Amino acid sequence: MSAALELDGLKKSFGQTEIIRGVDLSIGKGERHAIIGPNGAGKSTLFNLITGRFPQTAGAIRLHGQDLAGKAPYEINRMGLSRSFQITNIFPKMTVFENVRCSLLWSMGYRYNFWSVVSRSRALTEGADSILEQINLTARRDLPAGVLSYAEQRALEIGITIAGGADVIMLDEPTAGMSHSETDYIVDLIRTVTTGKTLVMVEHDMGVVFGLADQISVLVYGEIIATGTPEDVRANPKVQEAYLGEALETH
Amino acid sequence: MTDQSTTDPTKPAQRMRAGSMAIPLLPWCVAAVLLLVLPFIFTANSAITIMNQMAITIIFALAYNMLLGQGGMLSFGHAVYAGVGGFACVHIMNMDDFFASIPLPLLPIFGGLMGMGLATIVGSFSTRKAGTVFAMISLGVGELIAACSVIIVAFFGGEEGISGDRTYGMPFFGVEFLQQIEVYYLIAVWLMISAALMYLYSRTPLGRMANAVRDNPERAEFLGYSARWVRFYSFVASGFFAGIAGALFAINYEILTEENLNTTQSGIILLVTFLGGVGFFFGPILGAIVFTLVQTVLSLQTELWAFYLGIVFVVTVMFFPGGLAGIIMMHVPAMRLGKLGRLGVPYLKTLGAGMIGCFGAAALIEMTFHFRHASTGDHEMTIYWTTFDSHTVLPWIIAIAFTVFGFGVARRTAPDLVDAWNDANTPNGATQ
Amino acid sequence: MDLILVNLIDGLVTGLLLFMLSAGLTLIFSMMGVLNFAHASFYMLGAYFAFQISLYMGFWMGLLIAPLVVGVLGAGVERYGLRRVHQYGHVPELIFTFGLALLIEEVVQFIWGKNQMPYATPEVLQFTAFSIAGNSIPAYKIFMIFISVAIFVGLLYILTRTRVGMIIQAALTYPKTVEALGHNVPLIFMGVFGVGTALAGVAGVIAGPVLGTFPGMAFVLGSIVFVTIVIGGLGSLWGALVASLLIGWITTFSKAYNLRMEDLLTWLGFTKPEPIWDSAWRDMWSITSPQIADILPYILMVLILIFRPYGLFGKRDA
Repeated sequence: MSAALELDGLKKSFGQTEIIRGVDLSIGKGERHAIIGPNGAGKSTLFNLITGRFPQTAGAIRLHGQDLAGKAPYEINRMGLSRSFQITNIFPKMTVFENVRCSLLWSMGYRYNFWSVVSRSRALTEGADSILEQINLTARRDLPAGVLSYAEQRALEIGITIAGGADVIMLDEPTAGMSHSETDYIVDLIRTVTTGKTLVMVEHDMGVVFGLADQISVLVYGEIIATGTPEDVRANPKVQEAYLGEALETH
Repeated sequence: MTDQSTTDPTKPAQRMRAGSMAIPLLPWCVAAVLLLVLPFIFTANSAITIMNQMAITIIFALAYNMLLGQGGMLSFGHAVYAGVGGFACVHIMNMDDFFASIPLPLLPIFGGLMGMGLATIVGSFSTRKAGTVFAMISLGVGELIAACSVIIVAFFGGEEGISGDRTYGMPFFGVEFLQQIEVYYLIAVWLMISAALMYLYSRTPLGRMANAVRDNPERAEFLGYSARWVRFYSFVASGFFAGIAGALFAINYEILTEENLNTTQSGIILLVTFLGGVGFFFGPILGAIVFTLVQTVLSLQTELWAFYLGIVFVVTVMFFPGGLAGIIMMHVPAMRLGKLGRLGVPYLKTLGAGMIGCFGAAALIEMTFHFRHASTGDHEMTIYWTTFDSHTVLPWIIAIAFTVFGFGVARRTAPDLVDAWNDANTPNGATQ
Repeated sequence: MDLILVNLIDGLVTGLLLFMLSAGLTLIFSMMGVLNFAHASFYMLGAYFAFQISLYMGFWMGLLIAPLVVGVLGAGVERYGLRRVHQYGHVPELIFTFGLALLIEEVVQFIWGKNQMPYATPEVLQFTAFSIAGNSIPAYKIFMIFISVAIFVGLLYILTRTRVGMIIQAALTYPKTVEALGHNVPLIFMGVFGVGTALAGVAGVIAGPVLGTFPGMAFVLGSIVFVTIVIGGLGSLWGALVASLLIGWITTFSKAYNLRMEDLLTWLGFTKPEPIWDSAWRDMWSITSPQIADILPYILMVLILIFRPYGLFGKRDA
């Protein structure tokens, strides 16, 4: 099976501090891969490296076999990788509908088009409406995104992320700060909208991780100490020691 | 012209019906008819001069708002693009053979292209960043080009500027543009064309992404758009329409000088746009109309008009960041509820009293100014059609009385106005 | 050689004056992220206040009191103006300070009129300090250098050696953390704004007698100050110092030496088109360095921005 996303000896230092200390990881097409690890393990940094927010210090990142070194976030996005953010990152002044429509524009081939009026495009409107349908925000369609509830904004965030049709979806703590019922709702949502796509997510909530992922990697102090199916990882003594043990103690 | 969905999201009035297929045509038809009949209502030559000035300012302000309102880019040197477009057009007017072969109404296209060309060059390095960095570069480049005007005499004509004659162009269906009124209609047509194009631009993918980049450049990058290129294209488009405004200026006045390029001019367009309101497409239009009128009327009345304008501007930035358009749109929810009428009397009380206070304060300012700066022995001054001696006590007492009374009453009645406002914005039945 | 020395001193005076403005501006910028467009207006206020005070109490009291008044005014602007506008974002903040600059100029014209004020150097300093090859260096210039250097050293000392300085430095980078540690960050902001504007005030007091005290003085210097901090790198105090001196020397030298473009072009192997007055390139040929001295900073800025977008000392993601 060819890998959708490959990390090869990836390193990142900020000044003297090495945050990511050589990560090798291969995520197959259609896989649902969760990256877990204690606070400060470098999960968000890893995300930011893959999506081009920061340049890496050493190593390589390959998306469908293509090297991502030196590519800007928008170029990486055009190659079929899309991400969400830990802190909700939407266009708060625009309507919910427009948020989704904006995320469709590039993938529908509009690029820097300045000669066609967006509202005239039936395909765009229908596309955005169908995404809204999927994330259950049709009723909120014409409200400014900034007034939605937190859970709704998180759903919109996911909607924006998947709208462009990218086949690798990266979600950064999609359920952070949510209540139980909200979490269940988002998990269902993620499951439906990412069907057939490669999913990479960082998550703290073990319920979510074990419910969604079919592969799990454990990141501790900038290194991956274990990768495998949820059962393997659960049984792995190193993980028990480094992470689950600690998690059990603190919770 | 509906709103741009840019202002306070909590106000339901400012929600737009996104994705509706129709582009509202009614306001455009009304505008076209107005432009057509206005010269028949205000027939005086001076009125037509003012209207020409107004229309040119509208185009320029709309172009400026493509940056400020829609792209979130604050430029302190935008006069340069209009100015250079205008200078280019005067040069074309002076190329006898070439100018004789093109009809005058097509001249603005050249101005637009010139503005666009300059914007392409400057934008290539200035749009890398938005915010403060962009603002500083725009200021620096603006100053640089304005300063060049006295050095590159061949193009800018030095301190006298350059002048031309619009009537040497190829006659356009027999019209030679000798009359002000002919120029008026030329400008009016270009106003409609440019405004419509700029409105449509804001509805295109690029125009929508300009808004997205303004609000959240990072997110836009993760949607496949380079924030820098989106800003660059907005900048180039804005340069084009600014160039058209400059060209129309050249046609109307037939002379361009350093004043068309300098920072004062750039500051004025920022002022006009912001006072009108950057959040709505019609804001700059409103700003340009009101500013031109106020400038014409007030500058005849008082030397201190720029002082008052400065106060109004600072107050607007502090308390009404949405500008005039924002204030108007604040009333839409009440209007939808059919309760706008309930605001009438409280408004009259508070704002009426406030106005009296302002007039009193203005009188005090004028009297102080006269007292300090009038030539010695000149004690006589006239304000509000009243002539009096500024060195006697009585006028001061009267002015102080008006000021205190006006602001006092306004302050007293303000709570009622707030109550009325809350009432007018609460749907019937949903009482507190 | 002697002439070079004279120009070095002149350039140093201009550069240090610029630095007194750009230092305050940089401090305010790196702390609050807002570029104070009205900064040069406070410089102008400093000159006018000092002039007014000097009428009654002499130059030295002006030097002492005027910057204090300007600083208090600046703090007031931060407290009652900027803090309010801050909630709308950086662009409205910038627009606010721009409006303030307009308003201050109008207020100055309202109070003092449009003419230049007869604000002069104090008599004690009206003598020649020394001469270099027949060029006399007035004592006032030496005094200006002395004051600016003293202020710079004082500033450096406060920022790096005192507790207040430490808190300010910390608040620059981590305002939230510093606030959580129990320091009153809004108060620090207000203080820094006040001190920054007071510095501009000092610059106004000592520059007013030399460069002229008139309503356009803020505008003349204002844009150059912005150019300075862009060249130096937004938020970098060292950058501001280097850029200020650089601009001071470049403008002074290009005014002092009459370099002609004609010579340069001929040297490069171009032939002068004849007749020159009819050529489209005539302006190119007739340019001399004193003529373009005042726009050199802008050209420098554009070049810097093209080749080093973050300025000389700017951090990459400032």
